[in-house]
Amino acid sequence: MSPSRKWVRRGVVTAALALVGAALFAAFGARSSGAAQTRSNGRPANKIVVLVYGDAQNPVEQYAVNTYNKTAEGKKVKAVLETIPGANYQTKLQTLMGSSNAPDVFFNWGGGSITQFQKAGLLLPLNSFMKANPKLKSSFLPSILNAAKIGKNYYGIPMRGTQPVMLFYNKSVLAANHLTPPKTWADLLSDVAALKKGGVQVPIALGGADQWPTLMWFEYAYDRVAGPSFVTDALAGQSSLWKTAASNKALADLGQLINAGAFGPSKSWDSVYFTKNQTAQMVISGQAAFELMGSWYYSTIQSQSASFAAKSLGYTAFPSIPGGKGNLNDLAGNTENYYSVLAKTRYPQAVADFLTVMYSPTFVKKELGLGNLTTTTSTPALITGTTAPYLKYQYSLIKKAPAFQLSWDQAWPQTDSNAIHTAVAGYFDSLDAGTFETAMAGLKPAS
Amino acid sequence: MAALAATSRQRRRKSSGGLKIGRPSFLWSLPAITFFAICAIAPLCVVVWLSFTSWDALGSPAWVGAGNWRTLFHDPTLRNSFKVTAILTGLGIVTQTPVSLLLGVWAAGYQRNRAILSALYFIPLLMSATAISIVWLSLLDPYYGLPHELHWLFGNGFFEHGYLFSYPSTAIGVLTFVGMWQWTPFHTLIYQGGARAIPQVLYQAAAIDGAGRFRQFLYITLPQLRNTIITSVVLMLVGSLTSFDTILILTSGRPGISTTSTSYYMYIKGFQQFDFGSASVIGVLLVIVSTIISLIVVRASGWDKMRSTQEGV
Amino acid sequence: MTARRPNYLAGVLSGVWLVIVLAPVYVLVKASLQTQTDYDSSGPLSIPTHITGSNFGRVIHSGFLRFFVNTGIITAAVVAIVVVLVPPVAFAIVRNRSRTVTIVFRVFLMGLTVPIQAVIVPLYFLISKAGLYDTLLAVILPTAAFSLPISTIIMTGSMRDITGELYEAMALDGASSWRTFRYLVLPLARGGLATIIVFSALNAWNGFLLPLILTQSAHVRVFTLGLYDFQTVSSIDAPAICAAVVLSIIPILVVYLFARRALIRGLMGVGGK
Repeated sequence: MSPSRKWVRRGVVTAALALVGAALFAAFGARSSGAAQTRSNGRPANKIVVLVYGDAQNPVEQYAVNTYNKTAEGKKVKAVLETIPGANYQTKLQTLMGSSNAPDVFFNWGGGSITQFQKAGLLLPLNSFMKANPKLKSSFLPSILNAAKIGKNYYGIPMRGTQPVMLFYNKSVLAANHLTPPKTWADLLSDVAALKKGGVQVPIALGGADQWPTLMWFEYAYDRVAGPSFVTDALAGQSSLWKTAASNKALADLGQLINAGAFGPSKSWDSVYFTKNQTAQMVISGQAAFELMGSWYYSTIQSQSASFAAKSLGYTAFPSIPGGKGNLNDLAGNTENYYSVLAKTRYPQAVADFLTVMYSPTFVKKELGLGNLTTTTSTPALITGTTAPYLKYQYSLIKKAPAFQLSWDQAWPQTDSNAIHTAVAGYFDSLDAGTFETAMAGLKPAS
Repeated sequence: MAALAATSRQRRRKSSGGLKIGRPSFLWSLPAITFFAICAIAPLCVVVWLSFTSWDALGSPAWVGAGNWRTLFHDPTLRNSFKVTAILTGLGIVTQTPVSLLLGVWAAGYQRNRAILSALYFIPLLMSATAISIVWLSLLDPYYGLPHELHWLFGNGFFEHGYLFSYPSTAIGVLTFVGMWQWTPFHTLIYQGGARAIPQVLYQAAAIDGAGRFRQFLYITLPQLRNTIITSVVLMLVGSLTSFDTILILTSGRPGISTTSTSYYMYIKGFQQFDFGSASVIGVLLVIVSTIISLIVVRASGWDKMRSTQEGV
Repeated sequence: MTARRPNYLAGVLSGVWLVIVLAPVYVLVKASLQTQTDYDSSGPLSIPTHITGSNFGRVIHSGFLRFFVNTGIITAAVVAIVVVLVPPVAFAIVRNRSRTVTIVFRVFLMGLTVPIQAVIVPLYFLISKAGLYDTLLAVILPTAAFSLPISTIIMTGSMRDITGELYEAMALDGASSWRTFRYLVLPLARGGLATIIVFSALNAWNGFLLPLILTQSAHVRVFTLGLYDFQTVSSIDAPAICAAVVLSIIPILVVYLFARRALIRGLMGVGGK
C-alpha cells in the first residue's frame, strides 16, 4: 500500500472514532444537563410504582395497592407493587433513586434514611396533599408524622406500624427449663446459664450475618447504662462520648453475655441470618430460646408457623441494667415506616389517592392482624382478634416509654450505616472495645 | 540473478495470496470496533474520569482531583483486599490445576466408560455461577445442611463445628472449594483437548524405549501440554481476579473483611457505601493489574506467537 | 494400541471426584421434590420418602417463567449482535495485513484482559445517564460488547485454518471480498461460528452482575437475579430454591443434549490452538 493511502486510511479511522466519541459525549452530556421535564416524560404511562421492603408483610401492602386500583382514579392510573428483598433494600434504593426509573412511592424509615434524598431535591413535600385532604394529616399521630418531617415540610405517610424492639422467646422452652422471662440483666445471665445446662446450645438466636440485629443489643445496652441522652449527644457531634466509662461498661456487659455463650459458640452467629428466616426457625424449633427483634418479628414467625405465633410466642421488654442512667421503660426501635413520594412523579393525584388507603379502616385492621401497632388515631378502637394481646402489650410499652431511641443505622446518615454495622459485628467477634469506640467516634454526625 | 530474485518474490507473493482481489478492506472491521468502542472502551475512559470525582448516584459527579486516590492509598481494607485476592487466586490455581490436568489427561483416553464419566463431570458447567453458589450456600447451612447431617465430619476442631462462614480460614476454604467445584470441569475440558492433540507416535516411541506410564506422563504429556497449561493458568488468573458472584452469595466479604477481594470491595464502595468515585479508583486498579498480569504471562510464554508444540514431529 | 494395565490410582481418584461432583446434583434434584419439613428433619443427603411437585408450582408462581423469558430475550439479542459483528472483523483480521487492522486485533486482545467487573461503575453511570436503567437493553449491550474479544479470537483461529490456496482460487475467479466471505469463509468457518454462538449464549444466559447492577423491576428481571432474590428472602426453604435451580438448568441441559459437540469442540479448540 502506498504511504499516502496508508495515512488516508489512518485519518479516516481516527476521524470516525473521534466522531463517535464526540457524538457519545454530546448525547450523554445533553441528557445529564437536561431539565427534569425531559425525565418526567420518560416515566411510564398510566402507572405508578410503589416500592416496598420485601418481607413477610408484603401481602398487606399488595392489598393496599389492590384497594387503590379498584377506585375511580385507580382504574385510570394503576399502582404496581415492587419489592426488593429486605437484606438488599437500602442499597438498591439509592441506586434506583438516582436513575430514571425511580419509584413514585417508596418505603423508608424517615429520619436519616431520607435526608440525602431530600437534599438532592428528589422528594415531594406532602403539605399540598395534606391541605387538599386534611384527613391525610389528622388521621395519624402527630409525633409519628414529625419523625418524617424536615424543616417545615412533611415527607412521609406512615404505612406499617411503630416498631419497638422486644425480647421474644419460645414459651415451651422456657417452661421446660423452669424459667420466667428475665426482668434484669442478672436474670438474663442466669437464664442463659440454665438453658445451656438444659441442652439449649444457642440460648439467644442472633442473625449476625445480617449485622443489624446485632446493633439492637448495643442500642439497648447503651440506653440502659448510659441513658438516652448519650445517643442524642453523640449525634450532635460529641464523638468523645464513645470513650467514656459509661460506654465501656455497656460494652463490658455485652461482653459478659457473649462470653457466657449466650449466642452460641464464638462467631457462630456470623453464619446465621435473620432475613432468611433462619433465626425464626431456630426459635420455633426450640434450638434457641430468645431473640431480640423488632415488633415485625410476629409477622415473620407467623409466616413460618401461624400456630406457633398464636400460642407459643412470648414477648417481654428488654431487661433493666441496675446502676445505669437509663429508665427500664425506655424503648429502642423504629418509629414507623413511611411512604415518601418522588418529586418528579407523573401522577401526583394518583399518588395522593393511593396514600388515603393508609388510614382506611380495612387496611389498618389488616396491619393489626400482622401484629403491627399502626399509628393512626383510629387504632385503639380497631384492635381485635388473635393479635389483640400482642398489640395491647406493645401499646402499653409505648405509652409508658419516656424515650424511644431510633435505630442507630437510621438515626445516623445513610452513608454511615455500613461503618456502624461493621463496628458492631466486629465487637461481637473480637470483644475489642478500642476498635469499636474509635470506629463509632469517627462517624460523621447528622447535620 | 535479478531475474531469479524477481520470480522468487513473485512466487512468494502468490503463495501468500498477494493478489489484492478478495481481500477485505479495514471497513469490514468498523462495525465491530465501533460497537466495542461505545460499549466497552467508553466505560473504560469514563471509569478513569469518575475516579477523580465524587458521586453518590444522586445528582452529578463533582470533581475532587486526586482526593479519592489519596484516601484509598491509606485504606487498610483495600490493602487487605489485595492479600485476599492473592490468596484466593493462588489457592484456586493450586487446587484446580492438578485436578483438571489429571482428569483431563485421563478423560482423553478413548475408553467407553471415560466418555460417560466425562459427560457426568461436565454437569457443573451447565449451572450458572449464581446457581452453584446458591446450592452450596444451602448445603452448607450450619443447622439444616451438610454440617448438621455429617457432624461426625464437621465436628470438633477442623471445620469449626460447622460454622463455616464464621471464621476466615473456613470461609476462604469454602470459596476455594466452590470455585474448584465450579471451574474444574471447564479446565478439564481444556486439558482433555490438549491431551487429545498429542500425537500417539510420541507415546509409542517412548514405550519402545521402555518408558513406563509415569515417565511417559512426565516427559511427554506435560511438555506437550505446555501451551494448554499456560492458557488454563491465564484464564484462572484473570477469572480469579474478578470472581464476584461466589463471594457475594456465599460470604458477602465476611467474616470481617477476610473474604473481601478487591473486586468485591469495589462493589461495596460503590453500591453499598455509595462512594462511586473511590469505587472507580479500585476499578482502574483492577484494569491495570489484570492487563499487566496478562501481558507478562503472554510475553513470557510467547502465547501470542503460539509456537507449535508439534515442531519436529 | 498395546494393552495396558488398568490404572487403578486414576480409577480411584476419578471415582472420588465423581462423588464430589454428583453429590450436590443429587441433593439438588432430590430436595426439589421434597417438602420443607421433610428436608429439614431428615437432612440433605437422606433418601426422600415422599415426593411432591409443589415446590415447582410455587417457584413458577413467583414469576420465574417471566424471568426465563427475559433471559431468553437477552441471550438471543447478544448472540445476534455477536454473529453479525464478529465474522466480518475476524475476516478482516485474518486477510488484511494492514497496520490499522492489526491495531484492531490488538485492541480486542487487550479487551480480553479487561474484566467486566472493573467497569460496572462507569457502566451504571452511563446507562443511568442514557435513561436505559432497568431495561433489557442495559444488559444486552455491555454483555455483547464484552463477548466480542473472545469471540473474535475464536473466529480468527477458525478462519486461519482456511489455506491460502483456497483464497487464491477465489481471487483467480475474480471474487470480491464479499463473495469470498460469503461463499468460502463462512461455510468453512461454521465450526467457529457454532462455537461463538454457544459461548456468547452461555455467557449471556448465566449473566448475573450486569442484571444485578443495571436492572431492578420484576418485568426485566433475569432468572439468576430471581434465584438470588429468592434465596435472600428464604434460604431455609431449600426445596423451593432447589426447584428454582433445577428449572434454570433444564434449558441448558436441552442445549447440551443437542449441541454438545459444538460446545465441547469450542472449549477444546481454545486449548489446542
